[in-house]
Amino acid sequence: GQEFQFGPCRVEGVVLQELWEAFWAVKDIVQAKDNITSVRLLRKEILQNVSDVESCYLIRALLKFYLNTIFKGYLGKAADSRIRKSFSTLANNFFVIASKLQPSQENDMFSISESARRRFLLFQRAFKQLDIQSAQTKAFGEVDILLTWMEKFYQ
Amino acid sequence: DGVAILPAPQNLSVHSTNMKHLLMWSPVVVPGEIIHYFVEYQGEYESLYMSHIWIPSSWGSPTEDPECDITDDITATVPYNLRVRASLGSQTSAWSTLQHPFNRNSTILTPPVMEVTKDGFHLVIKLEDLGPQFEFLVAYWRREPGAKEHVKVVRSRGIPVHLETMEPGVPYCVKVQTLVKAIGRHSPFSQVECVRVQGETLPL
Amino acid sequence: VLCISGGLPKPTNITFLSINMRNILQWSPPEGLQGTEVTYTVQYFIYGQKKWLNKSECRNISRTCCDLSVETSDYEHQYYAKVKAIWETNCSKWAETGRFNPFLETQIGPPGIALTTDERSISIVLTAPEKWKRNPEDSSLSMQQIYSNLKYNVSVYNTQSNRTWSQCVTNHTLVLSWLEPDTLYCVHVESFVPGPPRLAQPSEKLCVRTLKDQTSAVKVK
Repeated sequence: GQEFQFGPCRVEGVVLQELWEAFWAVKDIVQAKDNITSVRLLRKEILQNVSDVESCYLIRALLKFYLNTIFKGYLGKAADSRIRKSFSTLANNFFVIASKLQPSQENDMFSISESARRRFLLFQRAFKQLDIQSAQTKAFGEVDILLTWMEKFYQ
Repeated sequence: DGVAILPAPQNLSVHSTNMKHLLMWSPVVVPGEIIHYFVEYQGEYESLYMSHIWIPSSWGSPTEDPECDITDDITATVPYNLRVRASLGSQTSAWSTLQHPFNRNSTILTPPVMEVTKDGFHLVIKLEDLGPQFEFLVAYWRREPGAKEHVKVVRSRGIPVHLETMEPGVPYCVKVQTLVKAIGRHSPFSQVECVRVQGETLPL
Repeated sequence: VLCISGGLPKPTNITFLSINMRNILQWSPPEGLQGTEVTYTVQYFIYGQKKWLNKSECRNISRTCCDLSVETSDYEHQYYAKVKAIWETNCSKWAETGRFNPFLETQIGPPGIALTTDERSISIVLTAPEKWKRNPEDSSLSMQQIYSNLKYNVSVYNTQSNRTWSQCVTNHTLVLSWLEPDTLYCVHVESFVPGPPRLAQPSEKLCVRTLKDQTSAVKVK
Protein backbone atom coordinates (compact mmCIF):
# COMPACT_ATOMS: atom_id res chain seq x y z
CA GLY A 1 0.00 0.00 0.00
CA GLN A 2 0.91 3.69 0.08
CA GLU A 3 2.04 4.00 -3.51
CA PHE A 4 0.79 5.66 -6.68
CA GLN A 5 -0.20 3.53 -9.64
CA PHE A 6 -0.73 5.82 -12.65
CA GLY A 7 -1.47 3.06 -15.10
CA PRO A 8 1.89 1.39 -15.79
CA CYS A 9 3.77 4.04 -13.78
CA ARG A 10 4.30 3.04 -10.17
CA VAL A 11 5.66 5.53 -7.60
CA GLU A 12 6.66 4.63 -4.06
CA GLY A 13 8.13 6.74 -1.28
CA VAL A 14 5.47 9.44 -1.08
CA VAL A 15 2.95 9.60 1.77
CA LEU A 16 -0.09 11.38 0.32
CA GLN A 17 -1.27 12.25 3.82
CA GLU A 18 1.83 14.47 4.24
CA LEU A 19 0.86 16.38 1.10
CA TRP A 20 -2.73 16.84 2.26
CA GLU A 21 -1.60 18.12 5.63
CA ALA A 22 0.92 20.48 4.04
CA PHE A 23 -1.67 22.00 1.69
CA TRP A 24 -4.46 22.08 4.26
CA ALA A 25 -2.29 24.14 6.59
CA VAL A 26 -2.22 26.99 4.04
CA LYS A 27 -5.38 26.36 1.96
CA ASP A 28 -7.39 29.28 3.29
CA ILE A 29 -4.48 31.73 3.13
CA VAL A 30 -3.49 30.79 -0.42
CA GLN A 31 -7.02 30.56 -1.85
CA ALA A 32 -7.91 33.92 -0.28
CA LYS A 33 -5.10 35.51 -2.37
CA ASP A 34 -6.85 34.31 -5.56
CA ASN A 35 -9.28 37.06 -6.52
CA ILE A 36 -10.06 35.79 -10.01
CA THR A 37 -12.80 33.38 -8.89
CA SER A 38 -14.34 33.30 -12.37
CA VAL A 39 -11.41 31.24 -13.67
CA ARG A 40 -10.66 27.66 -12.72
CA LEU A 41 -7.46 26.24 -14.24
CA LEU A 42 -7.98 22.52 -13.45
CA ARG A 43 -11.48 22.38 -14.89
CA LYS A 44 -13.61 19.26 -14.65
CA GLU A 45 -13.12 18.31 -18.29
CA ILE A 46 -9.34 18.27 -17.88
CA LEU A 47 -9.34 15.62 -15.14
CA GLN A 48 -12.57 13.75 -15.90
CA ASN A 49 -12.57 10.25 -17.45
CA VAL A 50 -8.78 9.97 -17.68
CA SER A 51 -7.86 6.35 -18.36
CA ASP A 52 -5.21 4.68 -16.27
CA VAL A 53 -2.80 4.54 -19.16
CA GLU A 54 -3.31 8.20 -19.99
CA SER A 55 -2.92 9.26 -16.34
CA CYS A 56 0.86 8.76 -16.34
CA TYR A 57 1.34 11.17 -19.24
CA LEU A 58 -1.02 13.75 -17.76
CA ILE A 59 0.33 13.70 -14.21
CA ARG A 60 3.88 13.98 -15.50
CA ALA A 61 3.03 17.04 -17.61
CA LEU A 62 1.12 18.68 -14.76
CA LEU A 63 3.80 18.04 -12.11
CA LYS A 64 6.60 19.26 -14.35
CA PHE A 65 4.62 22.44 -15.03
CA TYR A 66 4.02 22.92 -11.32
CA LEU A 67 7.73 22.40 -10.60
CA ASN A 68 9.14 24.50 -13.43
CA THR A 69 6.61 27.29 -13.76
CA ILE A 70 4.40 27.55 -10.70
CA PHE A 71 6.49 26.68 -7.70
CA LYS A 72 9.68 28.19 -9.03
CA GLY A 73 8.24 31.67 -9.14
CA TYR A 74 5.88 31.43 -6.26
CA LEU A 75 8.24 30.57 -3.44
CA GLY A 76 10.46 33.55 -3.93
CA LYS A 77 7.51 35.83 -3.21
CA ALA A 78 5.99 33.80 -0.35
CA ALA A 79 7.15 35.63 2.77
CA ASP A 80 4.92 33.70 5.19
CA SER A 81 7.06 30.85 6.59
CA ARG A 82 4.01 28.60 6.92
CA ILE A 83 3.48 28.89 3.19
CA ARG A 84 7.16 28.28 2.53
CA LYS A 85 7.12 25.18 4.71
CA SER A 86 4.01 23.70 3.07
CA PHE A 87 5.34 24.72 -0.27
CA SER A 88 8.62 22.91 0.33
CA THR A 89 6.79 19.71 1.27
CA LEU A 90 4.66 19.83 -1.87
CA ALA A 91 7.51 20.82 -4.20
CA ASN A 92 9.90 18.14 -2.95
CA ASN A 93 7.28 15.39 -3.05
CA PHE A 94 6.12 16.47 -6.52
CA PHE A 95 9.81 16.35 -7.45
CA VAL A 96 10.06 12.75 -6.17
CA ILE A 97 6.92 11.69 -8.08
CA ALA A 98 7.90 13.42 -11.33
CA SER A 99 11.38 11.93 -11.25
CA LYS A 100 9.95 8.40 -10.96
CA LEU A 101 7.36 8.68 -13.75
CA GLN A 102 8.58 6.96 -16.91
CA PRO A 103 5.64 6.80 -19.35
CA SER A 104 6.14 4.63 -22.39
CA GLN A 105 7.38 6.41 -25.52
CA GLU A 106 6.25 3.62 -27.85
CA ASN A 107 4.56 4.64 -31.10
CA ASP A 108 1.43 2.71 -30.29
CA MET A 109 0.94 4.98 -27.29
CA PHE A 110 0.94 8.14 -29.43
CA SER A 111 -2.82 8.67 -29.43
CA ILE A 112 -2.99 8.28 -25.66
CA SER A 113 -0.11 10.64 -25.01
CA GLU A 114 -1.70 13.09 -27.45
CA SER A 115 -4.97 12.97 -25.53
CA ALA A 116 -3.08 13.71 -22.33
CA ARG A 117 -1.24 16.55 -24.06
CA ARG A 118 -4.53 18.11 -25.21
CA ARG A 119 -5.85 18.00 -21.65
CA PHE A 120 -2.65 19.59 -20.38
CA LEU A 121 -2.81 22.31 -23.04
CA LEU A 122 -6.30 23.28 -21.83
CA PHE A 123 -4.75 23.87 -18.41
CA GLN A 124 -1.69 25.66 -19.75
CA ARG A 125 -3.76 27.93 -22.05
CA ALA A 126 -5.98 28.99 -19.14
CA PHE A 127 -2.84 29.62 -17.08
CA LYS A 128 -1.30 31.84 -19.77
CA GLN A 129 -4.40 33.98 -20.07
CA LEU A 130 -3.68 35.40 -16.61
CA ASP A 131 -0.74 37.48 -15.48
CA ILE A 132 1.99 35.20 -14.19
CA GLN A 133 1.65 36.08 -10.49
CA SER A 134 -2.13 35.64 -10.42
CA ALA A 135 -1.79 32.42 -12.37
CA GLN A 136 0.83 31.01 -9.98
CA THR A 137 -1.30 31.94 -6.97
CA LYS A 138 -4.39 30.37 -8.55
CA ALA A 139 -2.56 27.18 -9.53
CA PHE A 140 -1.15 26.83 -6.03
CA GLY A 141 -4.67 27.31 -4.62
CA GLU A 142 -5.93 24.51 -6.84
CA VAL A 143 -3.55 21.89 -5.44
CA ASP A 144 -6.54 20.41 -3.58
CA ILE A 145 -8.18 19.66 -6.94
CA LEU A 146 -4.94 18.08 -8.17
CA LEU A 147 -4.45 15.99 -5.00
CA THR A 148 -8.10 14.83 -5.12
CA TRP A 149 -7.49 13.50 -8.63
CA MET A 150 -4.11 11.97 -7.69
CA GLU A 151 -5.74 10.20 -4.72
CA LYS A 152 -7.74 8.06 -7.17
CA PHE A 153 -4.46 6.47 -8.21
CA TYR A 154 -3.14 6.00 -4.67
CA GLN A 155 -3.34 2.50 -3.30
CA ASP B 1 28.77 45.60 11.64
CA GLY B 2 28.63 42.64 14.05
CA VAL B 3 28.69 39.97 11.35
CA ALA B 4 30.91 36.83 11.71
CA ILE B 5 32.72 37.93 14.91
CA LEU B 6 30.92 35.08 16.62
CA PRO B 7 32.38 31.66 15.66
CA ALA B 8 30.11 29.46 13.57
CA PRO B 9 28.76 26.28 15.20
CA GLN B 10 30.85 23.21 14.35
CA ASN B 11 30.45 19.44 14.08
CA LEU B 12 26.94 19.41 12.68
CA SER B 13 25.39 15.96 12.57
CA VAL B 14 21.92 14.40 12.34
CA HIS B 15 20.80 11.60 14.64
CA SER B 16 17.71 9.88 13.23
CA THR B 17 15.78 7.00 14.76
CA ASN B 18 12.29 5.85 13.78
CA MET B 19 11.79 8.89 11.59
CA LYS B 20 12.56 11.34 14.42
CA HIS B 21 15.44 13.49 13.23
CA LEU B 22 17.64 15.54 15.56
CA LEU B 23 20.22 17.99 14.21
CA MET B 24 23.06 18.49 16.71
CA TRP B 25 26.21 20.65 16.81
CA SER B 26 28.95 21.75 19.16
CA PRO B 27 27.85 24.73 21.24
CA VAL B 28 29.39 28.15 20.73
CA VAL B 29 30.57 29.30 24.16
CA VAL B 30 30.82 32.93 25.26
CA PRO B 31 31.26 32.98 29.05
CA GLY B 32 28.30 34.49 30.85
CA GLU B 33 26.24 34.87 27.66
CA ILE B 34 23.27 33.01 26.20
CA ILE B 35 23.78 32.09 22.57
CA HIS B 36 20.79 31.65 20.28
CA TYR B 37 20.95 29.43 17.23
CA PHE B 38 18.98 29.65 13.98
CA VAL B 39 18.44 26.53 11.89
CA GLU B 40 17.34 26.56 8.26
CA TYR B 41 16.75 23.84 5.67
CA GLN B 42 16.20 23.38 1.96
CA GLY B 43 15.05 20.28 0.13
CA GLU B 44 16.42 18.94 -3.11
CA TYR B 45 13.94 21.01 -5.11
CA GLU B 46 15.05 24.25 -3.54
CA SER B 47 18.71 23.39 -3.81
CA LEU B 48 18.34 22.58 -7.53
CA TYR B 49 15.90 25.26 -8.66
CA MET B 50 16.22 28.13 -6.15
CA SER B 51 19.34 27.59 -4.11
CA HIS B 52 19.06 31.03 -2.50
CA ILE B 53 15.84 29.89 -0.72
CA TRP B 54 16.22 28.54 2.81
CA ILE B 55 13.35 27.87 5.16
CA PRO B 56 13.47 28.48 8.92
CA SER B 57 13.12 25.26 10.90
CA SER B 58 9.81 24.81 12.69
CA TRP B 59 11.38 24.24 16.09
CA GLY B 60 14.94 25.52 15.77
CA SER B 61 14.72 29.13 14.79
CA PRO B 62 15.65 30.30 17.36
CA THR B 63 16.81 27.80 19.97
CA GLU B 64 19.21 28.04 22.90
CA ASP B 65 20.16 24.37 22.86
CA PRO B 66 22.87 23.06 20.54
CA GLU B 67 20.29 20.78 18.90
CA CYS B 68 17.05 21.04 16.95
CA ASP B 69 14.25 18.58 16.22
CA ILE B 70 13.90 18.81 12.44
CA THR B 71 11.34 16.00 12.12
CA ASP B 72 8.54 18.35 11.01
CA ASP B 73 10.82 19.97 8.45
CA ILE B 74 11.91 16.78 6.68
CA THR B 75 8.68 15.92 4.85
CA ALA B 76 9.91 14.28 1.65
CA THR B 77 12.29 11.44 0.89
CA VAL B 78 14.90 13.64 -0.76
CA PRO B 79 18.30 14.97 0.41
CA TYR B 80 17.99 18.07 2.62
CA ASN B 81 20.66 20.71 3.16
CA LEU B 82 20.76 22.02 6.73
CA ARG B 83 22.59 25.01 8.16
CA VAL B 84 22.98 26.67 11.57
CA ARG B 85 24.32 29.99 12.75
CA ALA B 86 24.86 31.48 16.21
CA SER B 87 23.61 34.82 17.39
CA LEU B 88 24.43 36.99 20.41
CA GLY B 89 22.71 40.35 20.50
CA SER B 90 23.70 42.07 17.27
CA GLN B 91 26.53 39.64 16.64
CA THR B 92 25.80 36.89 14.15
CA SER B 93 28.10 34.06 13.10
CA ALA B 94 28.55 32.73 9.60
CA TRP B 95 26.34 29.85 8.54
CA SER B 96 27.66 26.39 9.17
CA THR B 97 26.22 23.82 6.72
CA LEU B 98 25.85 20.07 7.27
CA GLN B 99 28.62 18.43 5.31
CA HIS B 100 26.44 15.78 3.65
CA PRO B 101 22.76 16.41 2.88
CA PHE B 102 20.45 14.38 5.11
CA ASN B 103 17.88 11.97 3.63
CA ARG B 104 15.28 10.44 5.93
CA ASN B 105 15.74 7.07 4.25
CA SER B 106 18.86 6.71 6.41
CA THR B 107 16.87 6.69 9.66
CA ILE B 108 17.48 3.80 12.06
CA LEU B 109 14.37 1.65 12.41
CA THR B 110 13.75 -0.34 15.58
CA PRO B 111 10.87 -2.70 16.38
CA PRO B 112 8.11 -1.03 18.42
CA VAL B 113 7.34 -1.64 22.06
CA MET B 114 4.51 -4.17 22.02
CA GLU B 115 2.10 -5.56 24.63
CA VAL B 116 0.48 -8.88 23.80
CA THR B 117 -2.59 -9.63 25.93
CA LYS B 118 -5.70 -11.74 25.78
CA ASP B 119 -9.27 -10.77 26.44
CA GLY B 120 -11.03 -14.06 26.95
CA PHE B 121 -10.30 -16.02 23.76
CA HIS B 122 -9.10 -12.95 21.91
CA LEU B 123 -5.45 -12.30 21.12
CA VAL B 124 -4.96 -8.54 21.36
CA ILE B 125 -1.85 -6.49 20.64
CA LYS B 126 -1.06 -2.95 21.62
CA LEU B 127 1.77 -1.20 19.78
CA GLU B 128 3.74 1.95 20.50
CA ASP B 129 2.47 5.00 18.58
CA LEU B 130 5.45 6.02 16.44
CA GLY B 131 3.52 8.43 14.24
CA PRO B 132 1.36 8.47 11.11
CA GLN B 133 4.06 7.20 8.75
CA PHE B 134 4.38 3.89 10.57
CA GLU B 135 2.69 0.61 9.85
CA PHE B 136 3.45 -2.59 11.69
CA LEU B 137 3.80 -6.02 10.22
CA VAL B 138 2.53 -8.39 12.91
CA ALA B 139 3.32 -12.10 12.50
CA TYR B 140 1.50 -14.58 14.75
CA TRP B 141 1.23 -18.34 14.89
CA ARG B 142 0.19 -21.28 17.08
CA ARG B 143 3.22 -22.74 18.77
CA GLU B 144 2.86 -26.30 17.52
CA PRO B 145 4.60 -28.34 14.84
CA GLY B 146 3.78 -27.33 11.30
CA ALA B 147 1.93 -24.24 12.38
CA LYS B 148 1.36 -21.63 9.69
CA GLU B 149 2.49 -18.04 10.27
CA HIS B 150 -0.21 -15.39 9.80
CA VAL B 151 0.61 -11.81 8.96
CA LYS B 152 -1.42 -8.67 9.51
CA VAL B 153 -0.44 -5.07 8.69
CA VAL B 154 -1.66 -2.81 11.44
CA ARG B 155 -1.76 0.98 11.71
CA SER B 156 -3.12 1.06 15.23
CA ARG B 157 -1.42 4.16 16.68
CA GLY B 158 -1.46 3.15 20.32
CA ILE B 159 -4.91 1.47 20.38
CA PRO B 160 -5.20 -2.28 21.15
CA VAL B 161 -5.95 -4.26 18.01
CA HIS B 162 -7.67 -7.62 17.72
CA LEU B 163 -5.44 -10.20 16.09
CA GLU B 164 -7.00 -13.61 16.37
CA THR B 165 -9.57 -15.67 18.18
CA MET B 166 -7.62 -18.34 20.06
CA GLU B 167 -8.44 -21.92 20.78
CA PRO B 168 -7.75 -22.89 24.35
CA GLY B 169 -4.73 -24.99 25.35
CA VAL B 170 -2.38 -23.87 22.56
CA PRO B 171 0.16 -21.03 22.99
CA TYR B 172 -0.05 -18.28 20.43
CA CYS B 173 3.14 -16.36 19.61
CA VAL B 174 3.62 -12.90 18.15
CA LYS B 175 6.48 -10.84 16.73
CA VAL B 176 6.33 -7.44 15.04
CA GLN B 177 8.42 -5.13 12.83
CA THR B 178 7.92 -1.50 11.82
CA LEU B 179 7.24 -0.64 8.17
CA VAL B 180 7.81 2.85 6.77
CA LYS B 181 6.48 3.04 3.22
CA ALA B 182 7.74 6.61 2.77
CA ILE B 183 11.29 5.29 2.71
CA GLY B 184 10.51 1.70 1.64
CA ARG B 185 12.21 0.09 4.64
CA HIS B 186 11.37 -1.97 7.72
CA SER B 187 12.96 -2.70 11.09
CA PRO B 188 14.18 -6.07 12.35
CA PHE B 189 11.55 -8.21 14.09
CA SER B 190 10.94 -7.77 17.80
CA GLN B 191 11.36 -10.45 20.44
CA VAL B 192 8.68 -13.14 20.30
CA GLU B 193 5.93 -13.04 22.94
CA CYS B 194 3.50 -15.91 23.57
CA VAL B 195 0.19 -16.21 25.42
CA ARG B 196 -2.12 -19.11 26.01
CA VAL B 197 -5.79 -19.48 26.90
CA GLN B 198 -6.25 -22.14 29.62
CA GLY B 199 -9.10 -24.57 29.39
CA GLU B 200 -9.68 -28.16 28.24
CA THR B 201 -12.59 -28.63 25.97
CA LEU B 202 -14.48 -26.41 23.57
CA PRO B 203 -18.22 -25.69 23.92
CA LEU B 204 -20.42 -27.52 21.41
CA VAL C 1 -33.43 45.80 -2.16
CA LEU C 2 -32.42 49.52 -2.17
CA CYS C 3 -30.45 50.29 0.94
CA ILE C 4 -27.42 52.24 2.04
CA SER C 5 -24.62 49.72 1.61
CA GLY C 6 -22.12 49.62 4.42
CA GLY C 7 -24.58 51.29 6.81
CA LEU C 8 -24.42 48.13 8.94
CA PRO C 9 -21.54 45.97 10.08
CA LYS C 10 -21.21 42.67 8.18
CA PRO C 11 -22.52 39.35 9.51
CA THR C 12 -19.69 37.34 11.14
CA ASN C 13 -18.46 33.73 11.41
CA ILE C 14 -19.83 32.80 7.99
CA THR C 15 -19.08 29.14 7.29
CA PHE C 16 -20.49 26.01 5.73
CA LEU C 17 -21.59 23.24 8.08
CA SER C 18 -21.47 20.10 5.94
CA ILE C 19 -22.38 16.57 6.98
CA ASN C 20 -22.85 13.83 4.35
CA MET C 21 -23.00 16.60 1.73
CA ARG C 22 -25.82 18.42 3.43
CA ASN C 23 -24.33 21.87 3.11
CA ILE C 24 -25.77 24.56 5.37
CA LEU C 25 -24.46 28.10 5.28
CA GLN C 26 -24.49 29.63 8.74
CA TRP C 27 -23.42 32.95 10.22
CA SER C 28 -23.71 35.18 13.30
CA PRO C 29 -25.58 38.50 13.40
CA PRO C 30 -23.49 41.66 12.90
CA GLU C 31 -21.76 42.95 16.01
CA GLY C 32 -24.14 44.88 18.23
CA LEU C 33 -27.28 43.90 16.30
CA GLN C 34 -28.20 40.71 18.10
CA GLY C 35 -31.93 40.63 18.77
CA THR C 36 -32.86 43.44 16.40
CA GLU C 37 -35.14 42.95 13.39
CA VAL C 38 -32.26 42.29 10.99
CA THR C 39 -32.90 40.28 7.86
CA TYR C 40 -30.40 38.59 5.57
CA THR C 41 -29.95 37.83 1.90
CA VAL C 42 -27.72 35.05 0.57
CA GLN C 43 -25.98 34.50 -2.77
CA TYR C 44 -23.67 31.74 -3.92
CA PHE C 45 -21.03 31.33 -6.61
CA ILE C 46 -19.57 28.33 -8.43
CA TYR C 47 -15.79 28.63 -8.67
CA GLY C 48 -14.74 29.10 -12.30
CA GLN C 49 -18.10 30.46 -13.41
CA LYS C 50 -19.12 34.02 -14.01
CA LYS C 51 -22.00 35.24 -11.84
CA TRP C 52 -23.20 35.28 -8.27
CA LEU C 53 -26.53 33.47 -8.08
CA ASN C 54 -29.50 34.19 -5.87
CA LYS C 55 -31.03 31.73 -3.46
CA SER C 56 -34.65 32.85 -3.54
CA GLU C 57 -35.62 30.99 -0.35
CA CYS C 58 -32.90 32.93 1.49
CA ARG C 59 -33.86 36.47 0.55
CA ASN C 60 -34.82 38.79 3.44
CA ILE C 61 -34.83 35.95 5.96
CA SER C 62 -34.49 36.48 9.69
CA ARG C 63 -32.83 33.14 10.52
CA THR C 64 -29.01 32.93 10.41
CA CYS C 65 -28.67 29.84 8.25
CA CYS C 66 -29.49 28.81 4.71
CA ASP C 67 -29.56 25.32 3.23
CA LEU C 68 -27.50 25.39 0.04
CA SER C 69 -27.36 21.61 -0.37
CA VAL C 70 -29.15 21.64 -3.72
CA GLU C 71 -27.04 24.43 -5.12
CA THR C 72 -23.78 22.81 -3.99
CA SER C 73 -24.68 19.18 -4.72
CA ASP C 74 -22.13 18.71 -7.54
CA TYR C 75 -19.17 17.82 -5.38
CA GLU C 76 -16.73 18.14 -8.24
CA HIS C 77 -17.18 21.89 -8.03
CA GLN C 78 -16.03 24.34 -5.40
CA TYR C 79 -18.18 27.17 -4.13
CA TYR C 80 -18.32 30.53 -2.41
CA ALA C 81 -21.30 31.98 -0.57
CA LYS C 82 -21.96 35.42 0.81
CA VAL C 83 -24.59 37.05 3.02
CA LYS C 84 -25.49 40.61 3.82
CA ALA C 85 -27.58 42.09 6.64
CA ILE C 86 -30.46 44.48 6.05
CA TRP C 87 -32.14 46.65 8.69
CA GLU C 88 -34.65 49.29 7.71
CA THR C 89 -32.90 51.34 5.01
CA ASN C 90 -29.40 50.22 5.91
CA CYS C 91 -27.55 47.14 4.76
CA SER C 92 -24.10 45.75 5.30
CA LYS C 93 -21.44 44.89 2.76
CA TRP C 94 -21.30 41.25 1.80
CA ALA C 95 -19.60 38.80 4.16
CA GLU C 96 -18.07 36.00 2.11
CA THR C 97 -16.91 32.44 2.83
CA GLY C 98 -13.58 31.04 1.70
CA ARG C 99 -13.59 28.53 -1.11
CA PHE C 100 -15.75 25.59 -0.02
CA ASN C 101 -14.85 22.15 -1.40
CA PRO C 102 -17.68 19.77 -0.36
CA PHE C 103 -15.84 16.65 -1.50
CA LEU C 104 -12.94 17.40 0.83
CA GLU C 105 -14.73 19.19 3.65
CA THR C 106 -17.97 17.36 4.29
CA GLN C 107 -18.04 15.40 7.55
CA ILE C 108 -18.70 11.71 7.02
CA GLY C 109 -21.51 10.59 9.27
CA PRO C 110 -21.27 7.36 11.27
CA PRO C 111 -22.65 4.15 9.73
CA GLY C 112 -25.87 2.57 10.93
CA ILE C 113 -25.11 -0.28 13.35
CA ALA C 114 -27.17 -3.45 13.91
CA LEU C 115 -26.04 -5.95 16.55
CA THR C 116 -27.27 -9.51 17.02
CA THR C 117 -25.85 -11.87 19.59
CA ASP C 118 -25.85 -15.41 20.92
CA GLU C 119 -23.88 -16.86 23.85
CA ARG C 120 -20.44 -16.35 22.40
CA SER C 121 -20.60 -14.04 19.44
CA ILE C 122 -21.85 -10.71 18.28
CA SER C 123 -22.48 -9.99 14.63
CA ILE C 124 -22.18 -6.38 13.61
CA VAL C 125 -23.86 -5.18 10.43
CA LEU C 126 -22.90 -1.69 9.30
CA THR C 127 -24.92 0.43 6.89
CA ALA C 128 -22.91 3.07 5.10
CA PRO C 129 -24.00 6.66 5.76
CA GLU C 130 -26.11 8.12 2.98
CA LYS C 131 -25.48 11.23 0.96
CA TRP C 132 -28.02 13.93 1.67
CA LYS C 133 -30.94 13.89 -0.78
CA ARG C 134 -33.48 16.56 -1.55
CA ASN C 135 -36.59 14.40 -1.26
CA PRO C 136 -37.00 11.25 0.83
CA GLU C 137 -38.29 9.41 -2.24
CA ASP C 138 -35.22 10.28 -4.29
CA SER C 139 -32.91 7.33 -4.86
CA SER C 140 -30.25 6.93 -2.20
CA LEU C 141 -26.55 7.32 -2.81
CA SER C 142 -24.22 5.80 -0.23
CA MET C 143 -21.19 7.81 0.86
CA GLN C 144 -19.23 4.63 0.06
CA GLN C 145 -20.08 5.19 -3.61
CA ILE C 146 -18.54 8.66 -3.38
CA TYR C 147 -15.56 7.69 -1.23
CA SER C 148 -14.34 4.30 -2.39
CA ASN C 149 -11.62 4.38 0.30
CA LEU C 150 -14.19 4.83 3.12
CA LYS C 151 -13.20 2.72 6.15
CA TYR C 152 -14.75 2.05 9.57
CA ASN C 153 -12.97 2.07 12.88
CA VAL C 154 -14.86 -0.46 15.04
CA SER C 155 -14.11 -0.27 18.78
CA VAL C 156 -15.32 -3.05 21.07
CA TYR C 157 -15.41 -2.54 24.83
CA ASN C 158 -15.78 -5.52 27.19
CA THR C 159 -17.48 -3.96 30.22
CA GLN C 160 -16.49 -6.91 32.41
CA SER C 161 -12.74 -7.00 31.64
CA ASN C 162 -12.75 -3.24 31.09
CA ARG C 163 -10.78 -3.81 27.91
CA THR C 164 -11.20 -2.16 24.53
CA TRP C 165 -9.82 -3.26 21.20
CA SER C 166 -10.44 -1.97 17.76
CA GLN C 167 -10.44 -3.08 14.18
CA CYS C 168 -10.31 -1.10 10.97
CA VAL C 169 -12.65 -2.66 8.40
CA THR C 170 -13.85 -1.82 4.94
CA ASN C 171 -16.70 -4.31 4.57
CA HIS C 172 -20.06 -4.00 6.29
CA THR C 173 -20.29 -7.19 8.33
CA LEU C 174 -18.10 -8.26 11.20
CA VAL C 175 -18.54 -11.22 13.55
CA LEU C 176 -16.90 -11.13 16.94
CA SER C 177 -16.67 -14.74 18.07
CA TRP C 178 -15.55 -16.57 21.17
CA LEU C 179 -16.83 -13.89 23.49
CA GLU C 180 -17.70 -14.29 27.14
CA PRO C 181 -21.26 -15.44 27.78
CA ASP C 182 -23.62 -13.21 29.73
CA THR C 183 -21.33 -10.20 29.27
CA LEU C 184 -22.17 -6.66 28.23
CA TYR C 185 -20.17 -5.52 25.20
CA CYS C 186 -20.35 -1.98 23.80
CA VAL C 187 -19.59 -1.18 20.16
CA HIS C 188 -18.71 2.21 18.76
CA VAL C 189 -18.01 2.86 15.06
CA GLU C 190 -16.49 5.85 13.29
CA SER C 191 -16.34 6.42 9.55
CA PHE C 192 -12.96 7.42 8.18
CA VAL C 193 -11.74 8.65 4.76
CA PRO C 194 -8.00 9.12 4.15
CA GLY C 195 -7.14 12.56 2.82
CA PRO C 196 -7.24 16.04 4.27
CA PRO C 197 -8.01 16.37 7.99
CA ARG C 198 -11.79 16.11 8.40
CA LEU C 199 -14.02 16.58 11.41
CA ALA C 200 -15.34 13.16 12.42
CA GLN C 201 -18.92 12.39 13.32
CA PRO C 202 -18.76 9.75 16.06
CA SER C 203 -21.44 7.06 16.22
CA GLU C 204 -23.39 6.57 19.34
CA LYS C 205 -22.31 3.63 21.50
CA LEU C 206 -24.47 0.51 21.17
CA CYS C 207 -24.34 -2.16 23.88
CA VAL C 208 -25.54 -5.74 23.83
CA ARG C 209 -25.29 -8.57 26.33
CA THR C 210 -24.24 -12.04 25.15
CA LEU C 211 -26.65 -14.76 26.15
CA LYS C 212 -26.19 -16.92 29.19
CA ASP C 213 -24.18 -20.04 28.39
CA GLN C 214 -26.49 -23.07 28.49
CA THR C 215 -23.56 -25.49 28.90
CA SER C 216 -20.69 -24.23 31.06
CA ALA C 217 -18.06 -26.17 29.08
CA VAL C 218 -15.07 -24.01 29.48
CA LYS C 219 -13.73 -21.98 32.35
CA VAL C 220 -11.33 -19.31 31.03
CA LYS C 221 -8.49 -18.53 33.40
